[in-house]
Amino acid sequence: MPRIARGAIFAALMVSASASGAADYPQPLPEEPVPAVAELPEHYPDSWVFVQDLHFNSLPDGRAAIVDVGADNNNLRGQIPVAQFGVMLPSTTRGEIYVGETFYSRLTRGERTDVITIWDTKTLTPKDEIVLPGGKRGLFVTLRNSLQLTNDEKWALVFNFTPGASVTVVDLDGRKILSDIELPGCSLVYPTGPRGFTSLCADGTMTSIALDAAGNAGPAVTSAVFNDIDDDPLFMTPAMVGRTGWFVSFKGHVRAIDFSGAAAKDLGSFALPKQDGGEPEWRPGGWQVISADRAGLLYILMNPKSGEGTHKDGGTEAWVVDPKTKTLVRRIALRNHSVSIEATQQERPLLVASRPDGSLDVYDAASGAFVRTIVSVVHDPMTMTAAR
Amino acid sequence: MSGLDKFSEKVTRNVARATSRRSLLTLIGGALTGAAVIPVLPVSRAQAQTHGGGGDPVAPQSSGNPQDPGDQTKCDYWRYCAIDGFLCSCCGGSPSSCPPGTEMSPITWIGTCQNPADNRAYIISYNDCCGKSSCGRCLCNRNENDRPMVRPQANNDINWCLGTSSSVYNCSTAVILGVALEQQ
Repeated sequence: MPRIARGAIFAALMVSASASGAADYPQPLPEEPVPAVAELPEHYPDSWVFVQDLHFNSLPDGRAAIVDVGADNNNLRGQIPVAQFGVMLPSTTRGEIYVGETFYSRLTRGERTDVITIWDTKTLTPKDEIVLPGGKRGLFVTLRNSLQLTNDEKWALVFNFTPGASVTVVDLDGRKILSDIELPGCSLVYPTGPRGFTSLCADGTMTSIALDAAGNAGPAVTSAVFNDIDDDPLFMTPAMVGRTGWFVSFKGHVRAIDFSGAAAKDLGSFALPKQDGGEPEWRPGGWQVISADRAGLLYILMNPKSGEGTHKDGGTEAWVVDPKTKTLVRRIALRNHSVSIEATQQERPLLVASRPDGSLDVYDAASGAFVRTIVSVVHDPMTMTAAR
Repeated sequence: MSGLDKFSEKVTRNVARATSRRSLLTLIGGALTGAAVIPVLPVSRAQAQTHGGGGDPVAPQSSGNPQDPGDQTKCDYWRYCAIDGFLCSCCGGSPSSCPPGTEMSPITWIGTCQNPADNRAYIISYNDCCGKSSCGRCLCNRNENDRPMVRPQANNDINWCLGTSSSVYNCSTAVILGVALEQQ
């Protein structure tokens, strides 16, 4: 059949099809303008969570998904790139998202450029960038404390690893580098006091450095040894409740560090209550294994099949712990083996558990009831950050 | 672990022969800070299943040498006792060589693995291959004695494509450096 004839028959069918329903709908659908691009609110609702994708199968193409875990549908609201072992950090006050990332001019080769890319929360477009000198930004599986804010969110702190350790202090308003602080033997940055940071050190201590008004390092204050790295080390990512960081150790000790003063203060630790059913025992397991809600309850991802070497195996339950009474409030049985957990900062919080396949399971944190699954959000959901 | 110190000098000499001054300096820098660690690796065994651990297996490969037995595409191949990352054997390389066009990192983690055929303990160097994007095949993730980032020399989450012209991670090798004499 000639092509024109076929087209005519198709058109006729279309006309008759539309004619049959037209009586029900006297007005056609309105014309839609193009181009059309969605926007987000400047300040995200507290049911939203940033889910960072390491994308281990294509590391130069990492990203983060912005997900409304409280909605019945339209859950994935947008994405931003987070390249090459990058780390993303939403500001709570500036309407911006900061991404520490690394590029090569020819994707996998050529000139290396490390930057903090500044994204607008409303348009999810890049507003600006600050180039980080030296090609030394630390590249490792995402840890939130490799990029943090201090000085009322006016400065960013970038952890570098070459394998020499250092911290770059960045003025976000002035878009400039303020200082580079050598940090031999210590890792990551935990904002401390009004203007400064603490790092955890390989000898089991922590070192706090206050910054002067120009961003230069003042004297370092080193704590006593509290982190038993050989036998029972702390996971590196704490749950923050105000300025108190709640860390959990491989063997299930919960430790509070007060970061409110100029030097961080160890507030001591307690053991998670022993529970039956372990084969041989329950321990924290996964990547981001501890989170906190607004009320200060802690959620800890637990693995019943634990021993040496299982600390990244993920978990099957979330244990809800009240650190004030040092008691186990509730055990939430997860529907699926999970990698990381994060509690939203809602009045009635949701608990998000990320699965190895990149899907999210959402639970009512107060009751433990399963709420929904949001499938295929990212590839490798290592870290999650609830909107605040 | 005393064996590690004993062998670090030999590794340094080997690398010095094979790499540029810049790479050597980086290696020395790494040695001074106590850093010589496992290559990159993410999380969880469940995670590994989404990266080539599930579904149909990669077709087996062997050395053809009965003294070097086992399937070089599997995590349980004897040399991989402390490996972390995509196996170069599945990516165009071999247990002892990087895929074509990549660059072998001079900074490595060294482990001691028992060869089941000759019952000798061998020093294995886990050099990363760098400069092309993630291979994506045959991910192995072993975390025994892994410690968090606070102790980099014992942490396998770090990208050890350091001292190479590109820090983009492709896969990991398991090179025989010699027999672990101190165990005999």
